[in-house]
Amino acid sequence: MKIPFSWLKEQVALTSTPAQIAGNLVRLGHEVEGIEQPRAAVKGVVVGRISSKQPHPDADKLSLLKVDIGQAELLDIVCGASNMDTGDKIPVATIGTSLPNGLTIKKGKIRGEASCGMCCSETELGLSDESAGLLILPADAPVGLEIGDYLALEEAVFDLSITPNRGDCMNTRGIARDLAADARLPLLEVAPPVMEVDANVPLTKVAVTASTDCPAYLARRIEGVKLADSPAWMQTGLMLAGMRPINGIVDVLNYVMLYLGQPMHAFDADKIKGEIQVRAAEGGEQFKALDGRELKLNAGDLVVADQSGVIALAGIMGSADSGVSDGTVNIVLESAFFRPARVSETRRTYAMVSEASMRFERGVDPEMVLTGMQQASKIIAELFGGVVGEITVCGNVSEINAGKQMHCSVTRIEKRLGLALPEAVDDVLRDMGFGIIRLGDRLEVAIPPFRHDVSIPEDMSEEYARVIGFDAIPEILPALTTTAPAQPDRSIHDAVAGGFLQAVTYAFISEKEQRLFVSDDGNDIGLQNPISDAMSVMRRTPWAGLLNVAKHNLNRQQPGVAIAEQGRLYSKTAAGHDENNVLAWMMVGETEADQWYGNARVANFFDLKGAVEAWLAVRGLTARFIADDHIQGLQAGQSAKILVGRVEAGRLGKVDGDIAAAFDIDIPVFVADINLDVLPEGKKAKFAPLAEFPGVERDLVFLLEKSAFVRESNTDAIVQTVSKAGGKLLTDSRLFDLYEGKGVPEGKVSVGVRFTLQDPKRTLTQEDSDAASAAIIAAMDKRFGAVLRG
Amino acid sequence: MSEIDALKAQLESLQSEALSAFSAVADLAGLQQLRVQYLGKKGALTEVLKGVGKLAPEQRPVIGQFVNQTKSVLSQALDAAEAELSIHAKVARIEAERIDVSLPGRASAKGALHPVQRGLDEITAIFSQMGFAVAEGPEIENEFNNFDALNIPPEHPARAMHDTFFVNPIGDEPMLLRTHTSPVQIRAMKRFLAEEGEPPLAVVAPGRVYRCDYDVTHSPMFHQVEVFKVDRDVSMAHLKGVLKHFLSTYFEKDVSIRLRPHYFPFTEPSAEVDIGCVFCAGKGCRICKNSGWIEVLGSGMIHPNVLKSVGIDSEEFSGFAFGLGVERLVMLKQGIPDLRMFFENDVRFLRRMGS
Repeated sequence: MKIPFSWLKEQVALTSTPAQIAGNLVRLGHEVEGIEQPRAAVKGVVVGRISSKQPHPDADKLSLLKVDIGQAELLDIVCGASNMDTGDKIPVATIGTSLPNGLTIKKGKIRGEASCGMCCSETELGLSDESAGLLILPADAPVGLEIGDYLALEEAVFDLSITPNRGDCMNTRGIARDLAADARLPLLEVAPPVMEVDANVPLTKVAVTASTDCPAYLARRIEGVKLADSPAWMQTGLMLAGMRPINGIVDVLNYVMLYLGQPMHAFDADKIKGEIQVRAAEGGEQFKALDGRELKLNAGDLVVADQSGVIALAGIMGSADSGVSDGTVNIVLESAFFRPARVSETRRTYAMVSEASMRFERGVDPEMVLTGMQQASKIIAELFGGVVGEITVCGNVSEINAGKQMHCSVTRIEKRLGLALPEAVDDVLRDMGFGIIRLGDRLEVAIPPFRHDVSIPEDMSEEYARVIGFDAIPEILPALTTTAPAQPDRSIHDAVAGGFLQAVTYAFISEKEQRLFVSDDGNDIGLQNPISDAMSVMRRTPWAGLLNVAKHNLNRQQPGVAIAEQGRLYSKTAAGHDENNVLAWMMVGETEADQWYGNARVANFFDLKGAVEAWLAVRGLTARFIADDHIQGLQAGQSAKILVGRVEAGRLGKVDGDIAAAFDIDIPVFVADINLDVLPEGKKAKFAPLAEFPGVERDLVFLLEKSAFVRESNTDAIVQTVSKAGGKLLTDSRLFDLYEGKGVPEGKVSVGVRFTLQDPKRTLTQEDSDAASAAIIAAMDKRFGAVLRG
Repeated sequence: MSEIDALKAQLESLQSEALSAFSAVADLAGLQQLRVQYLGKKGALTEVLKGVGKLAPEQRPVIGQFVNQTKSVLSQALDAAEAELSIHAKVARIEAERIDVSLPGRASAKGALHPVQRGLDEITAIFSQMGFAVAEGPEIENEFNNFDALNIPPEHPARAMHDTFFVNPIGDEPMLLRTHTSPVQIRAMKRFLAEEGEPPLAVVAPGRVYRCDYDVTHSPMFHQVEVFKVDRDVSMAHLKGVLKHFLSTYFEKDVSIRLRPHYFPFTEPSAEVDIGCVFCAGKGCRICKNSGWIEVLGSGMIHPNVLKSVGIDSEEFSGFAFGLGVERLVMLKQGIPDLRMFFENDVRFLRRMGS
């Protein structure tokens, strides 16, 4: 909301600078988003008189002017406009002036001719969006006077952001009240002007049936109005306040609203059929709003209607046909109090916002319902003539919000604020409308009707705090409230320690992306008001987001990307909505670049498997990776489920090529995830004595059927067989070599196994290792038909 | 010439021949050969000694002394030559093993936490150290926890300002993506009361929040940290004390704070919190729009209706609460100009901000 400084000064004799006023407003709780200073913006521009005009010798469209700005010498100015003549008074920007458009005037030569200033248009002065040539001033404009002073430009316009609780401050009056009280200055009395009314003008018939939603409704007929544009001073004021002039009547109503906070509406009296009803809408009732929208109303919306239907959505917007237009002669003015919650709900239902609804839903000052009506009637009659009729009054404004009281102990507020409440502050609050009585520690407060937001002691604590100033509150560290700190979740930190960059992607993805990894089982949680299709369902897979990260980076010449993300997956369950914590990985492209010591290496299944294993190892966990050809979105034969103990804790694999292609990725991508919610607790590190006797390491190399190796046997089974057969002395066994090709028969694969034997109590003998080897060879033969390679 | 003189002459010529051989030798292996050649069991000196038998017994000690002397001279010369050659050999080896130390080290994959994560970690740690317990809550919430319990009734204008995402209802109950971490206040207080009976409690609640707003300065998903404390006689002075400590710790300098009255439904009084601009030290710059102050978070004393909604007696207990935007604080601390960069996950950005 914008308020011109001059409007405030009409209400209270403020002497501070705009910057000081802004500081006071902020301290009182009114955020100042900006201060426009139209007058200061044209400082250095003065009234000049063209004493001669010559054509420019080298440019047809330029003129050479000699301009009198009241100084000893005339100024030479080269000017590109054509609408001026000798003797005209024009605004002249002198050397050094910065204009609102950012231009700074410098002494210079234009096509060889000296120019010591610039003659200005309205646009260049920031007074208008467009102009046709120079601004020609009246002949009596005094030469040399600052243009800002001559045009009486506004000193300052405050752009305020009024908080939703302070409906009373959505107008000049309310802000002036706070400033006056704060500065200990008197506030101009505003009483409803006494209007002469003509008994011949018929009373407007009004029936309010929805009196809860509309506790007060005033209507008045004014006949014989000669509609014209509002005067220039009013239009200028409205524009400074951020509103567009519409027509004379509407401008007056807006002007009064900006001053007093009471929104009003004017109907064309000749377009209203029968009596005015203020009632609840019937379900499905039609309404064509002023903004062109056609609405089907819900039962319960508060409307103003006549015999033919709805003529206004109460407090929000009038209808397209019932308003004041060019041919309007007779009008009906409406000034009312609509229940804030009612206006708020209806406004939200139809996503409508108007200056009126913003004020009604925050609560207007009941006292201004009548004052506003009288003020507006008076100005309309003065400006546009017309005969003013008697007011039809429904309801009683003086009962609205009346008689609110609150009492509490002064100490309670002081304790809440950590601040003493000097009695002098009571006077400030009294000027803000509060009736305050202190009886020792007891504080009794009569709350003014316009303060819809104040009802309890805590509300008064805020009033005291803002008047005293939050800066006065000391900074004190409270006593510690100690709690046993929980073990912080290190999931993502350990993944990052493994060389992955952490990504954070949106929790909502497109349904199309969801379907790539999760089949449509009806358990998606969809957004009812998504920003776009790309962000329309809550993710049930972490991989879509990661693939988009891969796509983004591969498109930016990154040779390889290794990303991890921790977040939640969301799905419907029988009980409601489930949120499941997961950690996910993605690897694509080079894991190592070409280097002086080696060639580039491209990520494969086992890079990612190693990362997952290392991550598990930090938690004291080991996993088995079980081939699984049926993980949606992953390529059969290169995908596995991750078993930790008996728990299926995650999945790992290569993204199906077609799916990768959907993300514009044409190289192998590997993904994995771990369900953090099901992951069992790992083994805690426990001390065991270190072996004192040396161990024996043996290698055995077997030939196996290749198909059996990949499909069934696999490394896990081989290592398991070796471990079991190796006996009690075996402490470690692993696959150390895997080879096929030259020297190995077609269809076979050579598998090297290395195992370690160790006894804590003695040094092992040749017999020990021979026995273990023999047992292992026998077991390998029995289980896989493996033959020891010579 | 007497026998003894002949031997002496032989020894002298042997010595000078050996010494010149020693000084000519190029490497340790050659030197070892010479040692054997002259001083070995079958060496030249031993040969000379064979002639001693021909001497008269009284002459033998004389020549023996002479032999020993020669032996000692040669032995010392050999040791000296060996020491020198060893040094040469070592120098040669070192030279041969010389590398270019400016070659890049072997790459190992370098990970980095997301800057938002680091912000969350830092912020949470500061409050943990101040005794605040960490709590979390679901991101899909009901209207009661997100709004009603926080003193935002359905028709409240503030409710519309939250730009809420709604998701599939559970039965008839509308469900939404929480618009702030404040619902954790409600959940944590309820849980705490059930377990402990009554305050004091102090909680820090980090998490993701959602608003239906997407442009240059708004992301539909972002991160907040909710901090609150409820006890007897908690005052706004305590709020200011905690804010000052937190913000100074986070920004690693003594920042000044300014509270401005504001409005939030769940606090009374409510205050927006500014810090003295960390970029221009309050002198005025583009970031602080020449005001010298930067708005960082919203705060206040918990509204009695909020305490009431979880069953805490607001006559006996009071509390403060504030919620801060993690992205905003990280942007200010790290000088990140654009909110959208957090969610683009450009690895160049992640690497740069992660170091």
